[in-house]
Amino acid sequence: MFVTGKGGVGKTTVAAGLALAAAETEGEAVFVEFGDGAGARRVLRNRPSGLEHVVLDPSHAVARAAAPVFGSATLAKLALDNFAMRPLIRAAPAVRELGVLELARQVVEEHPGKRVVFDMPASGHSVAWLKVARQGRELTGRGPVHDLCARLEAELISPGRASIVVVTLPERLVLWETLTLCETIEKEVGLSVDRLVVNRVPQAPPENALNDAVSLSKNEGKIAQAAQKLVELLSIRDLVRKQVMQALDETVHRYGEEKGGDSGLTLLPLASTDPQARTVAGWLRSQGAA
Amino acid sequence: MTQPEVIVCAGGGGVGKTTASAALALALAKSGHRALIVSIDPARRLADAMGVELGTEARELSVDSGTGQLFGLMPDPQDALRTFVEFLFAEEPAALERLVENRLFRVLEASVPGIHEVATISLTWRAIIEHDVDVVVIDTAPSRNAIDFITYPKRLAKLLGGRAVAWMAAIGKRRSVASQDDKMGRVERLLVRALGPVTRDVAGLFSEMARVRERFILLNEHTSDLLLRPETRYFLVASPTAAARDDADYLIKKLEKLGIVPRALILNSAFVPERDWVQVLEAAQETTPAIHAALCALSDERETRSRAAARITDAFSKRQPNLQLLRLPYVETVEPRSIVHSLARSFDISALLSR
Repeated sequence: MFVTGKGGVGKTTVAAGLALAAAETEGEAVFVEFGDGAGARRVLRNRPSGLEHVVLDPSHAVARAAAPVFGSATLAKLALDNFAMRPLIRAAPAVRELGVLELARQVVEEHPGKRVVFDMPASGHSVAWLKVARQGRELTGRGPVHDLCARLEAELISPGRASIVVVTLPERLVLWETLTLCETIEKEVGLSVDRLVVNRVPQAPPENALNDAVSLSKNEGKIAQAAQKLVELLSIRDLVRKQVMQALDETVHRYGEEKGGDSGLTLLPLASTDPQARTVAGWLRSQGAA
Repeated sequence: MTQPEVIVCAGGGGVGKTTASAALALALAKSGHRALIVSIDPARRLADAMGVELGTEARELSVDSGTGQLFGLMPDPQDALRTFVEFLFAEEPAALERLVENRLFRVLEASVPGIHEVATISLTWRAIIEHDVDVVVIDTAPSRNAIDFITYPKRLAKLLGGRAVAWMAAIGKRRSVASQDDKMGRVERLLVRALGPVTRDVAGLFSEMARVRERFILLNEHTSDLLLRPETRYFLVASPTAAARDDADYLIKKLEKLGIVPRALILNSAFVPERDWVQVLEAAQETTPAIHAALCALSDERETRSRAAARITDAFSKRQPNLQLLRLPYVETVEPRSIVHSLARSFDISALLSR
């Protein structure tokens, strides 16, 4: 399960929440992060024993993934660790992405039968990672790099095995960008997006608060002036919430059409502090989305 | 041309970086500067935040910019690679034609990480000269890896100037794999075996690039002049969340490796402005239970926000005591444009630009 979305939407929290929920319902699951492992330290403070945490370091990916391509680690070192190839790999695009993808495949291979949740990088970068296998296979035509790419497609990015979750925010522009991202993933990667998770949906203010404040503001004096301030604030929030709901409706409309009925949308509430993965897992379960 | 002041805003995603950068550029214009705001963010956030249209050509923005002028530049990522190679191959049209026919190039055209940034820098350079701007605010992509591109032209120039490319280009010209049995002969055979026929496309691409090495060196100089001069100021942007704090920490470490010390941390939504009317309503007898519930929710929110902001300011003032902290208010409004104008008033430009 690949979890992606634009930067700052709460991908890591949602990915960890999904992994946690999977570990609880299926007994075991794996949560994979790329980078330094800070995500899990932040959102998975009490990790249950059924949930394994794997950190993959992209900077070592090429060296680790190259051995099967060249036949052995020694040959890979000979081929890549020389004056010509070192600067080339540092500057060439897509080489590192391919390496990272191969490491991801190895994690899946090492955990047969378990759900592996990947906390992917931000949208554009995710698409570049996911489509690099197909590009590499088509470009090379034959040989070990071709075989590596073909195996990645069959074992990691195939429609039967992989699912994609896109995390987004309830803002019109962000939702539109998300729909474009879904189209790109479907067209360029060949996988369909299984679920949109809309994070931080603002909650409605207490019922009648705005009406009561409006009545109170009609009097005169200090209290009425204060009530007027509350009216202004609640009106802004009301308007923002209406815009949010309308944008969500339109998204459901556009996205649901492609999905044939099932909206595929999961809404998570706005919690003003940093929610832990456990809290998110609870929200996801209550929506039947875990 | 006198060197303009350059301010680079960097931060993780979702911290309000574009809004803060736009507000800063607007504040600079209002204090009399000819300011240019450049967005590398591929999303349309800047155009939306300013309420104006922006594109690959820098243009003056029709906003109330006081005594100064504000220009905006937001190149389209779709055109990035084209813009980039057109800059490089300006004097080599035949090589450019061969390049765009190269199979590998056509695959790369869709997405090459870093190219959009580098293309934007070459356009920024042009805009600075054309509009004679004296201060540039660069809004980087919303990612902790957003500044990786700074060394990209240098890496490319180094690659193209080295023996590696001469060697690669020779592979492209040879009819069969070299027979010499030295180490590089073996490397060549390994490579051809691993990559197959595409080795020739790879080699061809590099030999075309090697033709325009001088342009790469020029591009590298432009990038270094804008981004690696000691006078260039790096501002981190964060919001009061643990994720934003981690991203800012990560960026500080990355900048350190480049020999850069960030000057300031702009903390968005750092405080909710005082609402004295809340106490008035809380004490009033006429206040209904629904209003009480709403006031209670507002106080809780304010408390949570100020605690989260205190956590992040404490963390940074302990770890980075020299980092200037700029706390921006939490602004609630329906119009994104009014946020930018409201935040622009929070910057003390003369304090910011003092050395």
